[in-house]
Amino acid sequence: MRASTRNKRKWIIIGMVCLLLFGHEAPLVNADRTSDAYHYSYWGEAVPAPAAYEATAIITGRKLNTDAFKEPSDLHVTADERVFLLDSGNGRIIEMDRNFKLVRVIDSFEREGKPDHFNNPRGLYVTDKGHLLVADSDNQRVVHLDELGQLVNIVAEPQSDLLRADFQFKPIRVVMDKGERIYVMAEGVFDGFMEFNADGTFSSFIGANRVQVDPVEYLWKRFATREQRSQMVMFTPTEFTNLDMDEEGFIYATSGDRGKDPIKKLNAQGTDILRREGYQPPQGDMMYTTETGPSRLIDVDVGDSDMYSVLDANTGRVFTYNGDGYLLHIFGGIGNRQGQFNTPVALERAGERILVLDKALGEITVFQTTEYGRTLHDAVRSYYNGDEDRSSLLFAKAAEMNANLEYAYAGIGKALLRQKEYADSAQYFKRSMERLGYSKAFLLFRKELMREHFSWMMSGLFLAVGSLVTVMIVRRQKRRTTNAGVK
Amino acid sequence: MLASSKQLYQYPLHLIFHPFDGYWELKYERNQKMTLLIAGMIMLLLIMTKILHAQYSGFLINFNNPKRLNSLLEMVYVIVPVLFWCVANWSLTTLMDGEGKFSEIFMSTCFALVPLLLIQFPWIWLSLVISVQETAFYYFSNAIAIGWTVYLLFVGNMTVHQYTPAKTILTMFLTLVAMAFMAFLCLLFFSLVQQIVSFAVTIYQELVLRG
Repeated sequence: MRASTRNKRKWIIIGMVCLLLFGHEAPLVNADRTSDAYHYSYWGEAVPAPAAYEATAIITGRKLNTDAFKEPSDLHVTADERVFLLDSGNGRIIEMDRNFKLVRVIDSFEREGKPDHFNNPRGLYVTDKGHLLVADSDNQRVVHLDELGQLVNIVAEPQSDLLRADFQFKPIRVVMDKGERIYVMAEGVFDGFMEFNADGTFSSFIGANRVQVDPVEYLWKRFATREQRSQMVMFTPTEFTNLDMDEEGFIYATSGDRGKDPIKKLNAQGTDILRREGYQPPQGDMMYTTETGPSRLIDVDVGDSDMYSVLDANTGRVFTYNGDGYLLHIFGGIGNRQGQFNTPVALERAGERILVLDKALGEITVFQTTEYGRTLHDAVRSYYNGDEDRSSLLFAKAAEMNANLEYAYAGIGKALLRQKEYADSAQYFKRSMERLGYSKAFLLFRKELMREHFSWMMSGLFLAVGSLVTVMIVRRQKRRTTNAGVK
Repeated sequence: MLASSKQLYQYPLHLIFHPFDGYWELKYERNQKMTLLIAGMIMLLLIMTKILHAQYSGFLINFNNPKRLNSLLEMVYVIVPVLFWCVANWSLTTLMDGEGKFSEIFMSTCFALVPLLLIQFPWIWLSLVISVQETAFYYFSNAIAIGWTVYLLFVGNMTVHQYTPAKTILTMFLTLVAMAFMAFLCLLFFSLVQQIVSFAVTIYQELVLRG
């Protein structure tokens, strides 16, 4: 008797221990710990990752044998990797070749026979043909030069009913599409980007951010008196901080504060068509201290295969996403080491290199992909181009270097799915937390399993039903006979 | 003995399909101790279902981070709402001429949870073999379970307190309000206690460091 109660107690204790064990934490997967790079997992937690880029060089004015850069504010790299730097403080444009050798300096242009200069220009764009567009902020104009530095056109203060009477045109960033339309981001403009026709006339605004109303603030405002209300901050849409144009003519734009979507991809109508299929919507840092605050994205650069990178001014980090919105890698930071910045302002991709411009230090940091970064980019590229076999191989290689890269497992899962390895494919999709892919693989696996075992499962079912019916009939018969016996 | 062990499952099943009869029996005809035992077991099973569900249900419907699962918390998530409901309901109905005793309220509430148990428990395993398209069935049956439970709660309240239907609905709504109020008071209480404790700790530290 005593033994049995002790036995029972033992089982209860074991049961309770089991319950407690359900919450057991799985150990963290360690990636390459030589770098302090990190990544965000499906659960939004920061996990270690190998570095995708490493800083290889720093370019300053001295190294180019010219004056030191003074508050440079924008950078542009053409398709053939020529680098254009806008040295705002000195009012000049510096062109370098792909090896960062000085080619020429443009500090003036000829206008109606007289030399003209820039006054604190802040935005630069170079078209495929090599034409230069300069947002000449303090002169309140956009200057369009051809590849030789000859003036083509000047976009001055626009005249339109859409603008306020006291409107001051202060362009900050500028891009041009293939139809030679110019898009300008100007200071104090909340209605989106200003679109100019090829001849320099203002046509319209596109892609305004929506006003975001805080319900609590709204409630306060309802109760406030007119005088109080005039002291309060107005509900204004957020300004954009930067823009870039991809090969197909879509505008990628960032806005500084964390609204709903700090990164946008605008089509010609100004509608946001950025894909946000990743684990988290693209937004820079997920976790942050109250001290640093959320990411303040100030530049975006679109590379090939729809991959784009954004620069976070708060933490100096560069976040790269693929076209679907999956985070690929994070690098950079604020600090004093090589590969960290003081006041990063602009970001440009030059092939497998990324250039980050530091305004306060007046230097460009050059980052080169590591093997991991190259593998990952190649995998994304192959997938984008439809070469799924190669991409799955590369994803497998990337996953080998970074076990925390959940996104890569889906690539392997897709390849296995096509090779009809349904069970394995489902497992890889599950690892990648890809529910739709998992479901597809699992459904095929289930069908296969059913087809294989259908015959004996069905016969078993028939047998079971048959025996059940027999037992019931026999029982009923028995009961009837006993009842009859009682009677 | 055999008969009573059989009624352990027979009675709750009878109640959920014939709630008016079942709750009437619960209030006036059944052995209270036995019924209380069954009610406790239902709660225990529901806790188990919840824990197993969080850990083992299929990937397609399971959005829990396995690293963050805590069985004790899952327990709390079942026990606290039920107890809150019972306490709030009892507090209200004593003021609103309800005839139910606290134990009756507790039992009727627990019995109302049986559909949740019956429907969710099999889904732990079923969810392992479904595809995304079939998750619709999961959500649908979940909705049915909740609807059924609400209906049972309604009938239970009506029978236990001998209310009219309209008054029952009003009481149930007010109970929800009271629950929110209780939750607020609890939070306030705990945060105040926390402040007092931290104040005491600060003074203690000050004394220790100066002395």
